[in-house]
Amino acid sequence: MSGILAWIPFLQPMTALGNGWWLLMVPLVFGVAVVHRAVQDASMEGYWGRVLRLTVKANAILGLIALAFFLFVYLVIPLLRAD
Amino acid sequence: MAQQSDSVDGPLNWFPALMGWILPGMGQVLLGHRQRGYRAMGGILGMFLAGVLVGGVDCVDRREDALWFYAQAGAGPVAFAADWANSALLKTGKVGHLIPSPPSNPRLPPPQVTSFKTVTMSNEIGTLFCFAAGLMNIVVILDALRRQPASPKAWTA
Repeated sequence: MSGILAWIPFLQPMTALGNGWWLLMVPLVFGVAVVHRAVQDASMEGYWGRVLRLTVKANAILGLIALAFFLFVYLVIPLLRAD
Repeated sequence: MAQQSDSVDGPLNWFPALMGWILPGMGQVLLGHRQRGYRAMGGILGMFLAGVLVGGVDCVDRREDALWFYAQAGAGPVAFAADWANSALLKTGKVGHLIPSPPSNPRLPPPQVTSFKTVTMSNEIGTLFCFAAGLMNIVVILDALRRQPASPKAWTA
């Protein structure tokens, strides 16, 4: 809490995020989806639905890649012989 | 699945593309594709401002992080404004204060860095947001370069 109170927006990094920094992946992917759909689609009808679907799909794929790396680091690597 | 958007093989829209660099999405607006342009503008400026909010202006640095800046500069003058704010406010010590950092060359005096400089994930994620905003604006500029004007009244070459 004290970290937020002392924070100066736009000048200091938002250190109060702590270990939750990876959640910023969601707004980042949303921003990319907003721009991608704006230039890619022929019609703007149903635009926000397609943005939402792309955001969910891209985040799910990134989450699966993260899970694969997690399993590799914590399950596969310990099985490797060190000698 | 929506169809691909319309583009032409005719003359390139150089002026809207240039305006799209100055203000993201403005190229599409000038060509009569207002909704498209304003949405692209919101996405790019939103990502860039989110990056500076999360990482601070230190995440846009033309001198120390030149490779990142080449892509961030795609977002237009807003990237240069953030770099200027970084140089004018943080690096001069007008905001925060300057502290000596470990020198890379022991024969030289220790360089002074701002007390607001960090190596946290927030700073890196902020850099990434601004980087993504710059890259996406390059996509939007290329789209404006080839997009067919919405009506004859819209800007034409």
